[in-house]
Amino acid sequence: MIVTFLRWLQWTDFFSTLRDWLYSYPVILSLHMVAMSVFGGLILVTDLRLLGVGARTYSISDVIDGLRNLKRVGFVFVTTCGVLLFGCKADEYGFNPWFRLKLVFFVLLVIHHWVFRGSVYSNAAALDSAPQIPGRAKLAGGLSLLLWFGVICAGRGIGYLHPSLEHGITDPRPDSTQVMPPAATEPLALNRASSAR
Amino acid sequence: MIANPLNSSPLAFPILEVVHIVGFISAVGSAALVDFRLLGFILPRRSPAEIWRATLLWTIVGLTLVVFSGLSLFSSDPDMYYLNPAFDLKIAVMIAAIVFYYTAVRKAVAKAVQTGASRLVAWISLLLWVLVLFGGIFIAFVQSYAPEA
Repeated sequence: MIVTFLRWLQWTDFFSTLRDWLYSYPVILSLHMVAMSVFGGLILVTDLRLLGVGARTYSISDVIDGLRNLKRVGFVFVTTCGVLLFGCKADEYGFNPWFRLKLVFFVLLVIHHWVFRGSVYSNAAALDSAPQIPGRAKLAGGLSLLLWFGVICAGRGIGYLHPSLEHGITDPRPDSTQVMPPAATEPLALNRASSAR
Repeated sequence: MIANPLNSSPLAFPILEVVHIVGFISAVGSAALVDFRLLGFILPRRSPAEIWRATLLWTIVGLTLVVFSGLSLFSSDPDMYYLNPAFDLKIAVMIAAIVFYYTAVRKAVAKAVQTGASRLVAWISLLLWVLVLFGGIFIAFVQSYAPEA
């Protein structure tokens, strides 16, 4: 059923048109990097501040509240690019173990956000008035850094695994020349050369 | 010819890539904060000079990581890289971005009052960083020239 959904998504008119344009994939991937730099930079600054390592001349509320809007914009930007990249090759991504690991990290990040929101991220003023940074805030910053680092590693890993292609299925659209890659249910082969760089 | 040890381990390249990514997030992310402040998007109560000082270390740490991991990645297959038009463009724009950041942006940050000129400087700086990232991705998507025999 998942395969059916992934294939349907991949071969919708929207994602097929996107894929048809030769450079759409690298352009979206580049934009993903741009958004990642901004969003990742904001995460880094916030987490380092929570750990008491960086930006110490700024109060915690300055960093958390002052950067919140830009962080939201960055998050929407990076997620949109990510979803577009996924839709172009949904089938391939859906069966890529590194992609699945990346999803696991996202789930953990959602839990992280849910656990620490009340006591840390919506509570910046109280953190500032504490004599020193509470352990819970440091824990939130450290875990966030680790989880996002995991996202980067898993994301980079995606490019190193490719499904074994045994049979091609023709694009269901009548006037298309694209060949549909088969669903990747076979064990994946380690392959550095093709899209790794 | 001495074999490059980086090519004998299948993990060397991806690990260096992750270092490269962490490096550019730190470098470009922190530089972008200064540019965004010049544009008035963030932290209005803090002066651009203060943001510059707070991010200074992370920009340098990021640039160091990104350059050294980049040189190592380059060494794995120099012919493919320097004969690649996207790579050549990336290096040129990267040098421009770094020089521009430490001259024009630094100067704009030092000024007490933000003018239209300082906003222009911030936009140019952001554009240069964006082009570096595009150049990096496009290395994998354009053909390298054939090496001369």
